[in-house]
Amino acid sequence: MKKKLKIYLPFTRAGIQRMMAYRMNFSLFFIGESLYCFVMYFLWQAIFNANHTERFMGFTRLEMVLFVFLSNIITFLVNSDMMEDLGTEIKDGSIIMRMIKPINLDFSFLFMELGTKIVILIGIGLPIVLGLEIYRYCMTGCILFDIGRFLLFLLSTILGYWISFYLNLCFGFMAFFFNNIWGFSMLKQALLKFLTGSMIPIAFMPALLQKVLNLLPFASMSYTPVMIYIGKYDRLQILQSIGLQLIWVIIIYGLSRAIWKIATDHLTVQGG
Amino acid sequence: MKQIRRILRLYRIFIGQHLKRLMEYKVDFLAGAIAFLLGQLINILFINIIFSQIPTLAGWRYEEIVFIYGFSLIPKGLDHLLTDNLWKVGWFIVRKGDFDKYLTRPINPLLHVIMEEFQVDAFGELLLGIVLVSMMWQKVNMHLSFIEAVLFVGVILFAALIYTGLKIISSAIALWIKQSGQIMQIVYMSNDFAKYPTTIYNGLIRSIITYILPFAFTAYYPALYFLTKKDPLFNLGGTVIASIILFAVGYKVWCRGLKAYESAGS
Repeated sequence: MKKKLKIYLPFTRAGIQRMMAYRMNFSLFFIGESLYCFVMYFLWQAIFNANHTERFMGFTRLEMVLFVFLSNIITFLVNSDMMEDLGTEIKDGSIIMRMIKPINLDFSFLFMELGTKIVILIGIGLPIVLGLEIYRYCMTGCILFDIGRFLLFLLSTILGYWISFYLNLCFGFMAFFFNNIWGFSMLKQALLKFLTGSMIPIAFMPALLQKVLNLLPFASMSYTPVMIYIGKYDRLQILQSIGLQLIWVIIIYGLSRAIWKIATDHLTVQGG
Repeated sequence: MKQIRRILRLYRIFIGQHLKRLMEYKVDFLAGAIAFLLGQLINILFINIIFSQIPTLAGWRYEEIVFIYGFSLIPKGLDHLLTDNLWKVGWFIVRKGDFDKYLTRPINPLLHVIMEEFQVDAFGELLLGIVLVSMMWQKVNMHLSFIEAVLFVGVILFAALIYTGLKIISSAIALWIKQSGQIMQIVYMSNDFAKYPTTIYNGLIRSIITYILPFAFTAYYPALYFLTKKDPLFNLGGTVIASIILFAVGYKVWCRGLKAYESAGS
Protein backbone atom coordinates (compact mmCIF):
# COMPACT_ATOMS: atom_id res chain seq x y z
CA MET A 1 0.00 0.00 0.00
CA LYS A 2 2.74 2.39 1.06
CA LYS A 3 4.84 1.42 -1.90
CA LYS A 4 1.86 1.95 -4.20
CA LEU A 5 1.34 5.46 -2.82
CA LYS A 6 4.99 6.24 -3.36
CA ILE A 7 4.60 5.32 -7.01
CA TYR A 8 1.45 7.30 -7.65
CA LEU A 9 1.78 10.37 -5.43
CA PRO A 10 4.17 12.07 -7.87
CA PHE A 11 1.27 11.99 -10.36
CA THR A 12 -0.85 13.90 -7.84
CA ARG A 13 1.92 16.41 -7.36
CA ALA A 14 2.17 16.82 -11.12
CA GLY A 15 -1.60 17.36 -11.24
CA ILE A 16 -1.42 20.07 -8.59
CA GLN A 17 1.45 21.75 -10.37
CA ARG A 18 -0.32 21.62 -13.69
CA MET A 19 -3.41 23.18 -12.14
CA MET A 20 -1.40 25.89 -10.41
CA ALA A 21 0.37 26.72 -13.65
CA TYR A 22 -2.97 27.20 -15.40
CA ARG A 23 -4.88 28.67 -12.45
CA MET A 24 -5.69 31.91 -14.26
CA ASN A 25 -6.98 30.03 -17.28
CA PHE A 26 -9.00 27.72 -15.12
CA SER A 27 -10.53 30.52 -13.05
CA LEU A 28 -11.66 32.33 -16.19
CA PHE A 29 -13.04 29.08 -17.58
CA PHE A 30 -14.89 28.47 -14.33
CA ILE A 31 -16.45 31.95 -14.44
CA GLY A 32 -17.59 31.44 -18.03
CA GLU A 33 -19.15 28.11 -17.24
CA SER A 34 -20.79 29.38 -14.06
CA LEU A 35 -22.56 32.40 -15.53
CA TYR A 36 -25.67 30.37 -16.22
CA CYS A 37 -26.03 29.85 -12.44
CA PHE A 38 -26.96 33.51 -12.21
CA VAL A 39 -29.50 33.08 -14.99
CA MET A 40 -30.98 30.20 -12.99
CA TYR A 41 -30.82 32.18 -9.77
CA PHE A 42 -32.87 35.04 -11.20
CA LEU A 43 -35.17 32.63 -12.98
CA TRP A 44 -35.92 30.89 -9.69
CA GLN A 45 -36.52 34.21 -7.95
CA ALA A 46 -39.02 35.10 -10.68
CA ILE A 47 -40.66 31.69 -10.40
CA PHE A 48 -41.10 31.98 -6.64
CA ASN A 49 -42.36 35.54 -7.03
CA ALA A 50 -44.96 34.32 -9.53
CA ASN A 51 -45.88 31.33 -7.43
CA HIS A 52 -47.00 33.33 -4.37
CA THR A 53 -46.09 30.41 -2.11
CA GLU A 54 -42.71 29.61 -0.71
CA ARG A 55 -42.66 26.09 -2.11
CA PHE A 56 -42.14 24.84 -5.64
CA MET A 57 -42.68 21.08 -6.02
CA GLY A 58 -41.40 20.52 -2.49
CA PHE A 59 -38.40 22.85 -2.69
CA THR A 60 -38.14 26.15 -0.86
CA ARG A 61 -36.61 29.25 -2.41
CA LEU A 62 -33.49 28.87 -0.28
CA GLU A 63 -33.07 25.21 -1.18
CA MET A 64 -33.32 26.04 -4.86
CA VAL A 65 -30.62 28.72 -4.61
CA LEU A 66 -28.35 26.27 -2.78
CA PHE A 67 -29.16 23.62 -5.37
CA VAL A 68 -28.19 25.84 -8.31
CA PHE A 69 -24.81 26.92 -6.97
CA LEU A 70 -23.89 23.62 -5.29
CA SER A 71 -24.75 21.55 -8.36
CA ASN A 72 -22.47 23.71 -10.43
CA ILE A 73 -19.43 23.35 -8.19
CA ILE A 74 -20.08 19.65 -7.58
CA THR A 75 -20.25 19.10 -11.32
CA PHE A 76 -16.83 20.73 -11.60
CA LEU A 77 -15.45 18.59 -8.77
CA VAL A 78 -16.94 15.36 -10.00
CA ASN A 79 -16.50 15.79 -13.72
CA SER A 80 -13.55 13.89 -15.05
CA ASP A 81 -11.89 15.09 -18.23
CA MET A 82 -9.01 12.67 -18.29
CA MET A 83 -10.71 10.91 -21.17
CA GLU A 84 -9.87 13.82 -23.41
CA ASP A 85 -6.21 13.36 -22.55
CA LEU A 86 -6.65 9.68 -23.16
CA GLY A 87 -8.26 10.39 -26.53
CA THR A 88 -5.38 12.64 -27.59
CA GLU A 89 -2.84 10.11 -26.38
CA ILE A 90 -4.54 7.40 -28.37
CA LYS A 91 -4.65 9.60 -31.45
CA ASP A 92 -1.03 10.69 -31.34
CA GLY A 93 0.19 7.34 -30.11
CA SER A 94 1.82 8.59 -26.92
CA ILE A 95 -0.45 6.21 -24.97
CA ILE A 96 2.19 3.60 -25.65
CA MET A 97 4.54 5.39 -23.23
CA ARG A 98 2.08 4.77 -20.44
CA MET A 99 1.47 1.20 -21.49
CA ILE A 100 5.09 0.09 -21.44
CA LYS A 101 5.73 1.41 -17.94
CA PRO A 102 5.17 -0.83 -14.94
CA ILE A 103 2.27 1.27 -13.70
CA ASN A 104 -1.45 0.89 -13.79
CA LEU A 105 -2.89 3.07 -16.54
CA ASP A 106 -6.07 4.15 -14.78
CA PHE A 107 -4.30 4.83 -11.47
CA SER A 108 -1.83 7.09 -13.21
CA PHE A 109 -4.75 9.11 -14.60
CA LEU A 110 -6.72 8.95 -11.35
CA PHE A 111 -3.90 10.23 -9.17
CA MET A 112 -3.02 12.93 -11.64
CA GLU A 113 -6.58 14.22 -11.68
CA LEU A 114 -6.77 13.96 -7.91
CA GLY A 115 -4.20 16.76 -7.83
CA THR A 116 -6.36 19.08 -9.92
CA LYS A 117 -9.43 18.24 -7.85
CA ILE A 118 -7.64 19.11 -4.61
CA VAL A 119 -6.84 22.54 -6.02
CA ILE A 120 -10.46 23.09 -7.17
CA LEU A 121 -11.83 21.92 -3.80
CA ILE A 122 -9.65 24.22 -1.75
CA GLY A 123 -9.53 27.15 -4.14
CA ILE A 124 -13.13 27.26 -5.31
CA GLY A 125 -15.25 24.61 -3.58
CA LEU A 126 -14.70 25.63 0.02
CA PRO A 127 -15.11 29.39 -0.61
CA ILE A 128 -18.41 28.70 -2.39
CA VAL A 129 -19.66 26.47 0.43
CA LEU A 130 -18.67 29.15 2.91
CA GLY A 131 -20.45 31.78 0.82
CA LEU A 132 -23.59 29.66 0.64
CA GLU A 133 -23.53 29.11 4.40
CA ILE A 134 -23.28 32.87 4.95
CA TYR A 135 -26.15 33.36 2.51
CA ARG A 136 -28.17 30.72 4.33
CA TYR A 137 -27.43 32.44 7.64
CA CYS A 138 -28.54 35.81 6.27
CA MET A 139 -31.77 34.30 4.93
CA THR A 140 -32.78 32.23 7.96
CA GLY A 141 -30.97 33.92 10.83
CA CYS A 142 -29.60 30.67 12.19
CA ILE A 143 -26.63 28.46 11.40
CA LEU A 144 -27.83 25.30 9.69
CA PHE A 145 -24.36 23.90 9.06
CA ASP A 146 -24.08 20.34 10.34
CA ILE A 147 -20.58 18.86 10.41
CA GLY A 148 -21.86 15.27 10.31
CA ARG A 149 -23.92 15.92 7.23
CA PHE A 150 -21.04 17.83 5.68
CA LEU A 151 -18.72 14.84 6.09
CA LEU A 152 -21.32 12.54 4.53
CA PHE A 153 -21.59 15.05 1.70
CA LEU A 154 -17.81 14.92 1.18
CA LEU A 155 -17.85 11.12 1.22
CA SER A 156 -20.67 11.08 -1.29
CA THR A 157 -18.83 13.57 -3.50
CA ILE A 158 -15.73 11.38 -3.51
CA LEU A 159 -17.79 8.35 -4.46
CA GLY A 160 -19.49 10.41 -7.14
CA TYR A 161 -16.13 11.40 -8.54
CA TRP A 162 -15.01 7.78 -8.56
CA ILE A 163 -18.04 6.71 -10.55
CA SER A 164 -17.58 9.59 -12.94
CA PHE A 165 -13.90 8.78 -13.38
CA TYR A 166 -14.44 5.17 -14.38
CA LEU A 167 -17.44 6.03 -16.50
CA ASN A 168 -15.30 8.53 -18.35
CA LEU A 169 -12.55 6.01 -18.68
CA CYS A 170 -14.99 3.63 -20.37
CA PHE A 171 -15.91 6.49 -22.62
CA GLY A 172 -12.29 7.42 -23.28
CA PHE A 173 -11.58 3.85 -24.35
CA MET A 174 -14.10 4.38 -27.13
CA ALA A 175 -11.41 6.47 -28.79
CA PHE A 176 -9.69 3.15 -29.45
CA PHE A 177 -12.54 2.28 -31.76
CA PHE A 178 -13.65 5.62 -33.19
CA ASN A 179 -10.38 7.60 -33.28
CA ASN A 180 -12.26 10.88 -32.91
CA ILE A 181 -14.58 11.53 -30.02
CA TRP A 182 -15.21 15.26 -30.08
CA GLY A 183 -18.87 15.03 -31.09
CA PHE A 184 -19.50 12.18 -28.71
CA SER A 185 -18.02 14.09 -25.82
CA MET A 186 -20.34 17.02 -26.61
CA LEU A 187 -23.23 14.60 -26.72
CA LYS A 188 -22.16 13.03 -23.46
CA GLN A 189 -22.00 16.46 -21.83
CA ALA A 190 -25.53 17.30 -22.97
CA LEU A 191 -26.96 13.97 -21.84
CA LEU A 192 -25.22 14.18 -18.48
CA LYS A 193 -26.74 17.59 -17.84
CA PHE A 194 -30.12 15.91 -17.96
CA LEU A 195 -29.31 12.49 -16.47
CA THR A 196 -27.32 13.74 -13.48
CA GLY A 197 -30.12 16.04 -12.39
CA SER A 198 -27.64 18.87 -12.03
CA MET A 199 -29.83 21.32 -13.92
CA ILE A 200 -33.37 20.13 -13.28
CA PRO A 201 -33.72 18.35 -9.93
CA ILE A 202 -34.71 14.73 -10.48
CA ALA A 203 -37.52 15.31 -7.97
CA PHE A 204 -39.30 17.41 -10.62
CA MET A 205 -39.60 14.52 -13.06
CA PRO A 206 -42.64 12.23 -13.41
CA ALA A 207 -42.69 9.50 -10.75
CA LEU A 208 -41.59 6.63 -12.98
CA LEU A 209 -38.76 8.58 -14.62
CA GLN A 210 -37.66 9.68 -11.16
CA LYS A 211 -37.28 6.06 -10.04
CA VAL A 212 -35.24 5.18 -13.12
CA LEU A 213 -33.00 8.26 -12.95
CA ASN A 214 -32.34 7.74 -9.28
CA LEU A 215 -31.19 4.18 -9.88
CA LEU A 216 -28.91 5.04 -12.81
CA PRO A 217 -25.27 5.77 -11.97
CA PHE A 218 -25.57 9.38 -13.18
CA ALA A 219 -27.68 10.54 -10.23
CA SER A 220 -24.98 9.10 -7.97
CA MET A 221 -22.45 11.46 -9.52
CA SER A 222 -23.68 14.86 -8.43
CA TYR A 223 -27.34 14.76 -7.43
CA THR A 224 -26.82 12.56 -4.38
CA PRO A 225 -24.16 14.74 -2.70
CA VAL A 226 -26.15 17.90 -3.39
CA MET A 227 -29.36 16.44 -1.92
CA ILE A 228 -27.43 15.29 1.16
CA TYR A 229 -25.99 18.76 1.65
CA ILE A 230 -29.29 20.57 1.24
CA GLY A 231 -30.88 18.17 3.70
CA LYS A 232 -33.49 16.66 1.38
CA TYR A 233 -32.55 13.11 2.37
CA ASP A 234 -33.30 11.58 5.77
CA ARG A 235 -30.95 9.16 7.47
CA LEU A 236 -32.30 6.08 5.71
CA GLN A 237 -32.21 7.74 2.29
CA ILE A 238 -28.61 8.85 2.86
CA LEU A 239 -27.64 5.30 3.75
CA GLN A 240 -29.42 3.89 0.72
CA SER A 241 -28.00 6.39 -1.73
CA ILE A 242 -24.43 6.03 -0.51
CA GLY A 243 -24.85 2.25 -0.67
CA LEU A 244 -26.03 2.63 -4.26
CA GLN A 245 -23.02 4.78 -5.04
CA LEU A 246 -20.71 2.04 -3.73
CA ILE A 247 -22.43 -0.55 -5.88
CA TRP A 248 -22.01 1.62 -8.96
CA VAL A 249 -18.33 2.22 -8.25
CA ILE A 250 -17.76 -1.53 -8.29
CA ILE A 251 -19.88 -2.22 -11.38
CA ILE A 252 -18.38 0.55 -13.47
CA TYR A 253 -14.86 -0.27 -12.37
CA GLY A 254 -15.45 -3.83 -13.59
CA LEU A 255 -16.89 -2.55 -16.84
CA SER A 256 -13.91 -0.30 -17.50
CA ARG A 257 -11.57 -3.24 -16.95
CA ALA A 258 -13.50 -5.35 -19.42
CA ILE A 259 -13.51 -2.64 -22.08
CA TRP A 260 -9.81 -2.04 -21.51
CA LYS A 261 -9.10 -5.70 -22.19
CA ILE A 262 -10.98 -5.62 -25.47
CA ALA A 263 -9.58 -2.24 -26.44
CA THR A 264 -5.92 -3.13 -26.03
CA ASP A 265 -6.41 -5.97 -28.49
CA HIS A 266 -7.77 -3.40 -30.92
CA LEU A 267 -5.14 -0.74 -30.44
CA THR A 268 -3.47 0.56 -33.53
CA VAL A 269 -1.08 3.34 -32.75
CA GLN A 270 -1.22 5.95 -35.46
CA GLY A 271 2.22 7.36 -36.03
CA GLY A 272 4.25 8.28 -32.97
CA MET B 1 -18.34 43.04 -58.34
CA LYS B 2 -15.43 40.99 -59.60
CA GLN B 3 -14.09 41.04 -56.08
CA ILE B 4 -17.33 39.64 -54.66
CA ARG B 5 -17.50 36.93 -57.29
CA ARG B 6 -13.96 35.91 -56.44
CA ILE B 7 -14.79 35.70 -52.74
CA LEU B 8 -17.90 33.65 -53.37
CA ARG B 9 -15.93 31.26 -55.52
CA LEU B 10 -13.28 30.92 -52.83
CA TYR B 11 -15.98 30.36 -50.21
CA ARG B 12 -17.41 27.52 -52.27
CA ILE B 13 -13.99 25.91 -52.48
CA PHE B 14 -13.30 26.35 -48.76
CA ILE B 15 -16.65 24.84 -47.83
CA GLY B 16 -16.08 21.97 -50.21
CA GLN B 17 -12.79 21.24 -48.49
CA HIS B 18 -14.39 21.55 -45.09
CA LEU B 19 -17.23 19.20 -45.97
CA LYS B 20 -14.73 16.60 -47.16
CA ARG B 21 -13.12 16.75 -43.74
CA LEU B 22 -16.54 16.36 -42.13
CA MET B 23 -17.30 13.28 -44.17
CA GLU B 24 -14.27 11.63 -42.62
CA TYR B 25 -15.91 11.84 -39.22
CA LYS B 26 -19.60 12.04 -40.11
CA VAL B 27 -20.96 10.12 -37.15
CA ASP B 28 -18.95 12.31 -34.84
CA PHE B 29 -20.36 15.50 -36.32
CA LEU B 30 -23.89 14.19 -36.30
CA ALA B 31 -23.36 13.51 -32.61
CA GLY B 32 -22.21 17.11 -32.22
CA ALA B 33 -25.37 18.50 -33.85
CA ILE B 34 -27.60 16.28 -31.70
CA ALA B 35 -25.64 17.43 -28.64
CA PHE B 36 -26.42 21.10 -29.30
CA LEU B 37 -30.06 20.24 -29.94
CA LEU B 38 -30.33 18.26 -26.69
CA GLY B 39 -28.62 21.02 -24.73
CA GLN B 40 -31.43 23.37 -25.74
CA LEU B 41 -34.19 20.79 -25.32
CA ILE B 42 -33.29 20.48 -21.64
CA ASN B 43 -34.04 24.17 -21.21
CA ILE B 44 -37.38 23.74 -22.98
CA LEU B 45 -38.21 20.86 -20.65
CA PHE B 46 -37.31 23.12 -17.77
CA ILE B 47 -39.66 25.84 -19.03
CA ASN B 48 -42.40 23.23 -19.32
CA ILE B 49 -41.86 22.11 -15.72
CA ILE B 50 -41.96 25.70 -14.50
CA PHE B 51 -45.25 26.39 -16.26
CA SER B 52 -46.82 23.22 -14.93
CA GLN B 53 -46.81 25.07 -11.60
CA ILE B 54 -47.23 28.75 -12.38
CA PRO B 55 -49.49 30.54 -14.89
CA THR B 56 -47.16 33.39 -15.86
CA LEU B 57 -43.51 34.25 -15.39
CA ALA B 58 -42.72 37.93 -14.90
CA GLY B 59 -45.99 38.65 -16.67
CA TRP B 60 -45.36 36.39 -19.68
CA ARG B 61 -47.37 33.35 -20.71
CA TYR B 62 -45.79 30.00 -21.55
CA GLU B 63 -46.21 30.51 -25.29
CA GLU B 64 -44.52 33.89 -25.18
CA ILE B 65 -41.58 32.65 -23.14
CA VAL B 66 -41.03 29.77 -25.57
CA PHE B 67 -41.34 32.18 -28.49
CA ILE B 68 -38.63 34.42 -27.02
CA TYR B 69 -36.48 31.38 -26.31
CA GLY B 70 -36.88 30.03 -29.83
CA PHE B 71 -36.20 33.45 -31.32
CA SER B 72 -32.94 33.67 -29.37
CA LEU B 73 -31.69 30.44 -30.95
CA ILE B 74 -32.00 31.63 -34.55
CA PRO B 75 -29.36 34.42 -34.60
CA LYS B 76 -27.23 32.34 -32.25
CA GLY B 77 -27.36 29.36 -34.59
CA LEU B 78 -26.76 31.52 -37.64
CA ASP B 79 -23.58 32.97 -36.18
CA HIS B 80 -22.54 29.53 -34.94
CA LEU B 81 -22.99 28.15 -38.46
CA LEU B 82 -20.93 30.78 -40.23
CA THR B 83 -18.21 32.10 -37.93
CA ASP B 84 -17.31 29.23 -35.64
CA ASN B 85 -13.68 29.21 -36.73
CA LEU B 86 -13.11 32.34 -34.61
CA TRP B 87 -13.22 30.06 -31.55
CA LYS B 88 -10.20 28.23 -32.88
CA VAL B 89 -8.33 31.53 -33.25
CA GLY B 90 -9.05 32.27 -29.58
CA TRP B 91 -8.21 28.79 -28.34
CA PHE B 92 -5.27 27.52 -30.34
CA ILE B 93 -4.64 28.77 -33.87
CA VAL B 94 -2.57 31.72 -32.63
CA ARG B 95 -0.99 29.83 -29.77
CA LYS B 96 0.19 27.00 -31.98
CA GLY B 97 1.62 29.41 -34.52
CA ASP B 98 -0.83 28.36 -37.24
CA PHE B 99 -2.12 31.91 -37.66
CA ASP B 100 0.72 32.83 -39.99
CA LYS B 101 -0.91 31.11 -42.91
CA TYR B 102 -3.77 33.62 -42.97
CA LEU B 103 -1.31 36.46 -43.34
CA THR B 104 0.46 35.00 -46.34
CA ARG B 105 -2.58 34.65 -48.57
CA PRO B 106 -4.04 37.25 -50.94
CA ILE B 107 -7.32 37.53 -49.06
CA ASN B 108 -8.47 39.50 -46.02
CA PRO B 109 -7.36 37.41 -43.00
CA LEU B 110 -10.63 37.91 -41.11
CA LEU B 111 -12.64 36.82 -44.13
CA HIS B 112 -10.34 33.87 -44.58
CA VAL B 113 -10.75 32.71 -40.98
CA ILE B 114 -14.52 32.98 -41.17
CA MET B 115 -14.87 31.38 -44.59
CA GLU B 116 -12.70 28.43 -43.78
CA GLU B 117 -15.38 26.61 -41.80
CA PHE B 118 -19.04 25.92 -41.93
CA GLN B 119 -20.15 24.51 -38.61
CA VAL B 120 -22.87 21.97 -39.25
CA ASP B 121 -23.39 21.44 -35.50
CA ALA B 122 -25.29 24.71 -35.58
CA PHE B 123 -28.19 23.09 -37.41
CA GLY B 124 -29.30 21.63 -34.07
CA GLU B 125 -29.87 25.09 -32.57
CA LEU B 126 -31.08 26.66 -35.79
CA LEU B 127 -33.71 24.02 -36.47
CA LEU B 128 -35.00 24.00 -32.92
CA GLY B 129 -35.24 27.79 -32.94
CA ILE B 130 -37.25 27.79 -36.17
CA VAL B 131 -39.49 24.96 -34.94
CA LEU B 132 -40.23 26.68 -31.62
CA VAL B 133 -40.95 30.03 -33.24
CA SER B 134 -43.27 28.51 -35.83
CA MET B 135 -45.02 26.35 -33.23
CA MET B 136 -45.75 29.40 -31.10
CA TRP B 137 -46.51 31.70 -34.05
CA GLN B 138 -50.28 31.15 -33.95
CA LYS B 139 -50.50 30.88 -30.20
CA VAL B 140 -48.99 34.31 -29.58
CA ASN B 141 -51.24 35.82 -32.28
CA MET B 142 -48.40 36.86 -34.50
CA HIS B 143 -49.64 38.88 -37.46
CA LEU B 144 -47.01 40.61 -39.51
CA SER B 145 -47.50 43.02 -42.35
CA PHE B 146 -45.12 42.74 -45.29
CA ILE B 147 -42.83 45.42 -43.90
CA GLU B 148 -42.82 43.78 -40.48
CA ALA B 149 -41.94 40.45 -42.02
CA VAL B 150 -38.97 42.09 -43.72
CA LEU B 151 -37.99 43.62 -40.39
CA PHE B 152 -38.33 40.22 -38.74
CA VAL B 153 -35.83 38.61 -41.09
CA GLY B 154 -33.59 41.68 -41.12
CA VAL B 155 -33.36 41.97 -37.37
CA ILE B 156 -32.31 38.33 -37.10
CA LEU B 157 -29.37 39.03 -39.40
CA PHE B 158 -28.34 42.06 -37.36
CA ALA B 159 -28.75 40.08 -34.15
CA ALA B 160 -26.42 37.40 -35.51
CA LEU B 161 -23.95 40.19 -36.26
CA ILE B 162 -23.96 41.10 -32.54
CA TYR B 163 -22.68 37.61 -31.79
CA THR B 164 -20.12 37.84 -34.57
CA GLY B 165 -18.91 41.28 -33.47
CA LEU B 166 -18.38 40.14 -29.89
CA LYS B 167 -16.63 37.00 -31.08
CA ILE B 168 -14.30 38.97 -33.33
CA ILE B 169 -13.35 41.33 -30.50
CA SER B 170 -12.76 38.58 -27.97
CA SER B 171 -10.91 36.29 -30.37
CA ALA B 172 -8.72 39.18 -31.59
CA ILE B 173 -7.39 39.52 -28.03
CA ALA B 174 -5.48 36.33 -28.76
CA LEU B 175 -3.42 38.27 -31.31
CA TRP B 176 -1.85 40.09 -28.36
CA ILE B 177 -1.90 37.49 -25.59
CA LYS B 178 -1.79 34.27 -27.71
CA GLN B 179 -4.85 32.67 -26.16
CA SER B 180 -8.19 34.26 -25.42
CA GLY B 181 -10.50 31.25 -25.45
CA GLN B 182 -11.50 31.73 -21.81
CA ILE B 183 -12.35 35.39 -22.36
CA MET B 184 -14.40 34.43 -25.41
CA GLN B 185 -16.16 31.84 -23.30
CA ILE B 186 -17.15 34.39 -20.65
CA VAL B 187 -18.38 36.87 -23.26
CA TYR B 188 -20.23 34.23 -25.26
CA MET B 189 -21.82 32.46 -22.31
CA SER B 190 -23.45 35.75 -21.26
CA ASN B 191 -25.92 35.07 -24.06
CA ASP B 192 -27.67 32.67 -21.67
CA PHE B 193 -29.11 35.73 -20.00
CA ALA B 194 -30.78 36.82 -23.23
CA LYS B 195 -33.10 33.84 -23.53
CA TYR B 196 -35.48 35.03 -20.83
CA PRO B 197 -37.22 38.39 -20.35
CA THR B 198 -34.71 40.89 -19.02
CA THR B 199 -37.27 42.03 -16.46
CA ILE B 200 -36.42 39.04 -14.25
CA TYR B 201 -32.89 40.34 -13.64
CA ASN B 202 -31.71 43.09 -11.33
CA GLY B 203 -30.65 46.48 -12.67
CA LEU B 204 -26.96 45.68 -12.88
CA ILE B 205 -27.32 42.57 -15.00
CA ARG B 206 -30.00 44.23 -17.11
CA SER B 207 -27.64 47.12 -17.91
CA ILE B 208 -24.79 44.78 -18.74
CA ILE B 209 -26.79 42.70 -21.20
CA THR B 210 -28.33 45.81 -22.73
CA TYR B 211 -25.39 48.18 -23.02
CA ILE B 212 -22.12 46.30 -22.52
CA LEU B 213 -22.60 42.80 -23.90
CA PRO B 214 -25.86 43.61 -25.68
CA PHE B 215 -27.18 40.07 -25.96
CA ALA B 216 -30.61 41.28 -24.88
CA PHE B 217 -30.85 42.80 -28.36
CA THR B 218 -30.37 39.38 -29.94
CA ALA B 219 -33.56 37.99 -28.45
CA TYR B 220 -35.69 39.64 -25.83
CA TYR B 221 -35.95 43.18 -27.22
CA PRO B 222 -36.67 42.28 -30.85
CA ALA B 223 -39.06 39.53 -29.77
CA LEU B 224 -40.71 42.04 -27.46
CA TYR B 225 -41.35 44.30 -30.42
CA PHE B 226 -43.02 41.58 -32.47
CA LEU B 227 -45.09 40.44 -29.47
CA THR B 228 -46.28 43.92 -28.44
CA LYS B 229 -45.50 46.11 -31.48
CA LYS B 230 -44.24 48.78 -29.10
CA ASP B 231 -41.11 50.90 -29.16
CA PRO B 232 -39.59 49.85 -32.50
CA LEU B 233 -36.94 52.54 -32.20
CA PHE B 234 -35.41 50.98 -29.10
CA ASN B 235 -36.29 47.32 -29.60
CA LEU B 236 -35.30 47.01 -33.25
CA GLY B 237 -33.16 50.12 -33.69
CA GLY B 238 -31.07 49.08 -30.71
CA THR B 239 -30.29 45.76 -32.37
CA VAL B 240 -29.19 47.44 -35.58
CA ILE B 241 -27.07 50.07 -33.83
CA ALA B 242 -25.49 47.60 -31.40
CA SER B 243 -24.55 45.22 -34.18
CA ILE B 244 -23.06 47.94 -36.39
CA ILE B 245 -21.04 49.39 -33.52
CA LEU B 246 -19.80 45.98 -32.38
CA PHE B 247 -18.87 44.91 -35.86
CA ALA B 248 -17.04 48.17 -36.58
CA VAL B 249 -15.20 48.05 -33.27
CA GLY B 250 -14.49 44.36 -33.83
CA TYR B 251 -12.94 45.02 -37.22
CA LYS B 252 -10.84 47.86 -35.81
CA VAL B 253 -9.60 45.73 -32.92
CA TRP B 254 -8.86 42.87 -35.29
CA CYS B 255 -6.80 45.12 -37.59
CA ARG B 256 -4.91 46.54 -34.63
CA GLY B 257 -4.31 42.98 -33.46
CA LEU B 258 -2.89 42.02 -36.84
CA LYS B 259 -0.42 44.90 -36.56
CA ALA B 260 0.61 43.86 -33.07
CA TYR B 261 0.71 40.16 -33.91
CA GLU B 262 3.97 38.34 -33.46
CA SER B 263 4.04 34.76 -34.53
CA ALA B 264 4.13 32.17 -31.79
CA GLY B 265 5.44 29.51 -34.11
CA SER B 266 8.97 28.29 -34.32
